[in-house]
Amino acid sequence: MTVRLTGVGLTHANGRRALQEVELTVGRGERLAIIGPSGAGKTTLLRLLATSLQPSEGRLELLGSEPWRLPAGQRKRLRARLGLVHQSPPLPPRQRVVTAVLAGRLGQWPLWKSLLNLLHPLDPAGARNALGRLDLAEQLFERCDQLSGGQLQRVGIARVLYQQAELILADEPVSAMDPVLASHTLGVLNREAESRGVTLLASLHAVDLALAHFPRIVGVREGRIAFDLPAHAVTPQALDALYANEQLDQPRPASPAPAPHVVTIPRC
Amino acid sequence: MKRALNYALLLAILLAVAVSFVGLGLDFSGLTSARGLALMADYAAGFFPADFSAAHLAQIGRASLETLAMSALGTLLAALLGLALALPAAGRFGAVAGALARFVLNALRSIPELVWAALMVLAAGLGPNAGTLALALHTTGVLGRLFAEALENTPGEPAEAIRLAGGGHVAAFVYGTLPGVWPQLIAYSLYRWENNIRMASVLGFVGAGGLGQMLYVSLSLFQQAQAATVILAMLLLVLAVDALSGWARQRWVSH
Repeated sequence: MTVRLTGVGLTHANGRRALQEVELTVGRGERLAIIGPSGAGKTTLLRLLATSLQPSEGRLELLGSEPWRLPAGQRKRLRARLGLVHQSPPLPPRQRVVTAVLAGRLGQWPLWKSLLNLLHPLDPAGARNALGRLDLAEQLFERCDQLSGGQLQRVGIARVLYQQAELILADEPVSAMDPVLASHTLGVLNREAESRGVTLLASLHAVDLALAHFPRIVGVREGRIAFDLPAHAVTPQALDALYANEQLDQPRPASPAPAPHVVTIPRC
Repeated sequence: MKRALNYALLLAILLAVAVSFVGLGLDFSGLTSARGLALMADYAAGFFPADFSAAHLAQIGRASLETLAMSALGTLLAALLGLALALPAAGRFGAVAGALARFVLNALRSIPELVWAALMVLAAGLGPNAGTLALALHTTGVLGRLFAEALENTPGEPAEAIRLAGGGHVAAFVYGTLPGVWPQLIAYSLYRWENNIRMASVLGFVGAGGLGQMLYVSLSLFQQAQAATVILAMLLLVLAVDALSGWARQRWVSH
């Protein structure tokens, strides 16, 4: 089993219950989409699976071990096998794309190699290959603050492709892309997972994309799993219930632009 | 009532000013008297013409290089030490280490360069050695504090993302935090270098080497012509360093 959640609940520090009684089992090589209205807990669920958040109750098993029962060193090694695609990838504005992508293997490289790579990219071919699959190879040596929101999202995906993670978690990975590019990018992620036999979990707000690309669909509503069905068995009624009182196709804001980088220059 | 208090305060301040004049024995009549003005003009005239003899210029060149080296090395040492102390001061190694580092930085910073120089002359002997150490110690305190603030204000998400993918603390710092802060660190260091070149020319007065020591010696021996050249050299040095650091800022920091 790649993922097993048993009775998992999560209460945020401010007392808000984000997830409750979540039961989810995902086998190796499965590809599933998580859909649901805004604020349903999709992002929280993915951050929980990425070991960014700790469950308040229940059991979380990833790749055969319980991350929060492991000593820190072993948890670090487990994390190197998990790849998280952020909705707005947190990349330093001045970092070059090649460095941002190669940073995907920092968990596997010894420290000397990480430091050497900072001075001179050690595997530009690997980064170019990962970016090339997302149609972004020309931007290899550009700075991250010169890219658009959709391009940044693809850099974040390229980093996880380069990481060769065994469990790919993607939080709204295509929210800032146009429909054609979004479909192409999801195709790349799915082919990657299929060809290497690894597991892919992606949260999506576009139901049509989820149904078109993923064999298994999990609906989340108000912190609970509303349904967990093969894509062909998802009925319009189930979707209507999932998004009840929500506008099905509400416009979503693109990923927020990173705050302008200001350097205070002291003068005397 | 409030108005009476204000008048009382005003009166007290005026009284304090009057007492200060009497107490310090300031002699303005002597300053503006014909004899006083003539003496001043005489002294000022001694600075002209400045001494541009080859031997003196060679000496000044050497001392300028010494001052430049003192300020540059002092700032470099301070930047490295400051970063080493800024990391714990920004709370990256727990609360105890943070409080301790902040205490050390405050102590270093609150003692002025001149006092450090006087102490270092006692500890390390006369010469540029003492000046460099003095600049390094005070500037460590200043830069450490500024660096710690810069580190605290850097967004933590990029480093967190590296840690979530299994990267260690050092990797997360150099890939996630440093790219965001190093321009700020360079800007602060250049600014302190500009300050230090000016300070380095003064440190010589307590025997810590460089142009300042030459100035002090010539003034003590009433060699105004030689002193004038030293002052000109200081002016040029400060202007040159300002221009250089302005150029470096444009090149590396502003964009």
